[in-house]
Amino acid sequence: MRTDKNESDNDNELRARLERLQAALGSKEAERRVETGGGLPVGGSFGKALSAGFTVLSEFVAAILVGALIGWQADLWLGTKPWLLVLFLGLGVAAGFYNVFRFAAPKDARGGG
Amino acid sequence: MNPIEQFELQRIAPYFINGVDVSFTNSALYMLLAAAGAIILTLFTTSKRALVPGRGQALAEVLYEFVANTVRQTAGKEGMRFFPFVFTLFTFILVSNLIGLVPYTFSLSSQIVVTFAFAAFVITLVVLYGLYRNGFGFLKLFVPHGVPAPVLVVLIPIEIISFLSRPVSLSVRLFANILAGHITLAVFGGFVVMLLGAGAWAALAPIPILAVVAMYALELLVNCLQAFVFAVLTCVYLNDAIHPGH
Repeated sequence: MRTDKNESDNDNELRARLERLQAALGSKEAERRVETGGGLPVGGSFGKALSAGFTVLSEFVAAILVGALIGWQADLWLGTKPWLLVLFLGLGVAAGFYNVFRFAAPKDARGGG
Repeated sequence: MNPIEQFELQRIAPYFINGVDVSFTNSALYMLLAAAGAIILTLFTTSKRALVPGRGQALAEVLYEFVANTVRQTAGKEGMRFFPFVFTLFTFILVSNLIGLVPYTFSLSSQIVVTFAFAAFVITLVVLYGLYRNGFGFLKLFVPHGVPAPVLVVLIPIEIISFLSRPVSLSVRLFANILAGHITLAVFGGFVVMLLGAGAWAALAPIPILAVVAMYALELLVNCLQAFVFAVLTCVYLNDAIHPGH
């Protein structure tokens, strides 16, 4: 009888401890999310949607512009007329899509980067 | 009725040093006004340090809390050392945008030079602080982990271009939003004048006025939001400098 009670006590204690750990883990996770969250709040009101659209557009265009500019300048310096421009324009477009992906994809799905 | 006229720089006090134009322009005047507005908003309203805040102090406190929360959420606790910088940037852009919304004033953020100077400063700060804090570990920012080596050859240049595009997109977004908004308002305002001067068509003049009123509300939202977006993205980039490995 006594051992039985003791065992159930132990059980309860264990369960309580588990719950405590769970709660601690949950709050830690939430804290981590808050700390590393970053990014803009996507969705929500009309204004937020508007600004999200503008953000995606400008990130996309800016990457292409920067890529083209690098290629153009490198061509001028190295005298390899169209080729570096073509290469860096391609990389710029890729970087543009990458920017958009990074903006839109949730942090956990990115796999680093 | 030229909608671009409002963005013209005018020399208020022409001044040249060795042929370099360093005149005091309307842009400089509005920078001083925005700085003065920010100082009045934050310093003078909180000078009483009342326990129960008055209207001005409450506004300053809300502003402070808002920016502090934004910095803490996006750049973590360590990012709080950049709080003064982000707060200054946000308040300055916000106040200058709001001043620019008053008719017949000049909007600072409609000059790409101004916004690009902000963005270039932010990115320079990110690079310098990242290198200072993490040494060459900062360059891990450009190397996504868990990616096979052949893919890295393509991905690293993409990451670098993506990083270099940040100041461009940061400045262009603020500049384009403000510029487009002010031009739209001016064009619709121009419609009113044109309709009024077109005989019987004047009966239609209230329609663009209604549009201007609606768009003015939208512009108010956009102007505040863009200041906020600028501050948030600054925090996001600073977060990269603090934790480059993600």
